[in-house]
Amino acid sequence: MHREAAIVGIGRTAYSRASGRTPAGMAAEASRNALADAGLTTADVDGVIDFSTGDSVRAMQLGYALGVDDLAFALDVSGGGNVAAATVATAFSAVSRGLCEVVVVYRSLNGRSGNRYGRGDVPPVALEGELQFAASSGFIVPPMWFAMFARRHQEIYGSTAEDLGRIAITQRAHAVPNEHAQQRTSLTMDDYLAGRWIYEPFRLYDCCMETDGACALVITTLDRARDLPHPPVRLLAEAEAHTFGGSVAQFGDLTTMYSAYAAPRLWSRTDLRPADVDVACMYDCFTFTVMATFEDFGFCGKGEVGDFFASGRATYGGDVVVNPHGGLLSEGYLHGLNHHTEAVLQLRGAASGRQVADAEIALVTAGAGPYGGAVLYGVDR
Amino acid sequence: MTSGEQLAADEAAIDVPAPPRPVVDVDTAGYWAAAGRGEFVLCRCTDCRHWLQPPMERCRHCGGDTAFEPATGTGSVHSFIVVRHPSVPAFARLLPYAIVLVDLAEGVRMTGRFLGEPADVRLGLPVTVGFERLPRAEQSAVVFAAAGPGT
Repeated sequence: MHREAAIVGIGRTAYSRASGRTPAGMAAEASRNALADAGLTTADVDGVIDFSTGDSVRAMQLGYALGVDDLAFALDVSGGGNVAAATVATAFSAVSRGLCEVVVVYRSLNGRSGNRYGRGDVPPVALEGELQFAASSGFIVPPMWFAMFARRHQEIYGSTAEDLGRIAITQRAHAVPNEHAQQRTSLTMDDYLAGRWIYEPFRLYDCCMETDGACALVITTLDRARDLPHPPVRLLAEAEAHTFGGSVAQFGDLTTMYSAYAAPRLWSRTDLRPADVDVACMYDCFTFTVMATFEDFGFCGKGEVGDFFASGRATYGGDVVVNPHGGLLSEGYLHGLNHHTEAVLQLRGAASGRQVADAEIALVTAGAGPYGGAVLYGVDR
Repeated sequence: MTSGEQLAADEAAIDVPAPPRPVVDVDTAGYWAAAGRGEFVLCRCTDCRHWLQPPMERCRHCGGDTAFEPATGTGSVHSFIVVRHPSVPAFARLLPYAIVLVDLAEGVRMTGRFLGEPADVRLGLPVTVGFERLPRAEQSAVVFAAAGPGT
């Protein structure tokens, strides 16, 4: 069996710094909102999939919380933002293969008030696998890892702090009209450069906003989607790369990321090209993640991202609008599933004050460093 | 006195948080045992002779047996960061310090604290391995220092 599938609903909770709620409660709210958006009910749901790092609620439990006693398909994917695209694509596959009819995809976490990714201070910290070798220097949190990449890029290609700053500033400007964004005060280069050092070369505004909240997508068959309220959003291509066993230390070229492997794979699976992309929801746990992956996906050459952003090519009226919602840097760190909800909103033409004109094609990337993936979405009007 | 020794000296007076703890397993026990003796070893395939990091039971290149062998403990800085934010409490009193990612002579990379001024680190800097045991640490950690003349 093969049936085409489409995203028909999106939903979210409020994004905050202290939800006072469980991931289960937030996942259920975001899922109900996504189902209502889709014109469906909890009774339609027979599939649930999520990704988490042990900080969330299991798919099966979410199904139960929605009143579904028997799920035909349920899967918990282990990982953070690196697996966001893979999780969504797997949901498409489950529908396409006939494993289920209506699948809810969610990410729910207390990323600010609960387990904070940017910190290594929850005792006792015990690290297995290759991380046991990082433990003894304290090289254990993501901003350290990707600052290590950024330093190498700066040395090899001459990229600068200001180049990273342009990314933070552009995305913050995009977040200003977004009522769901955690950070809506515009940022100047002086503000950016005055941000305190975290791990050189990263300053405060190079780092995303740890956030409490949940967001969700609803996916069903394209046939069914055509009878639902919104234009169906279709998956045009998907590609992943899982390199060097996920090891930051052993990763080949630190001026690139997984995307050096995933991008050629993605573009080989479609006739579309970077110039066709209207909206690029680039995974942005850090500014440098945008820089490296933007180069890898072919929007510009090595070392050219700073000029690309500075000349307005990454915003409204330019070549491609990067993270119109403000991204993880300014909207919130929902581990990139909020990039998918934003892409859907933009392709529907329903993003109101931040709508990208004539948005037809969206790229959504997922992850940083050695592994991640990306999808291309289009819309059926 | 190294910074680790300095910290050890202060330990009695101050409640120093333990550093993150390596969870030693059967594949890595030989490395940590050697580190405890101040010997720098790496995992190596006994058949195809590739060096392997992290250590693994069988070679990832040829599937051969592996063993720990003495390594040169020399390399050069591939990249580095300067830690300014006290996210890991055990290291908070050492700020600012550099963490270097080192291309070891054996062809694998390893990270460690840099013993010396962060301003002295640059890409390509030749470095040598040392060991440091932080207060309340269960294992000795690899650290790197700038290689002296003639090394």
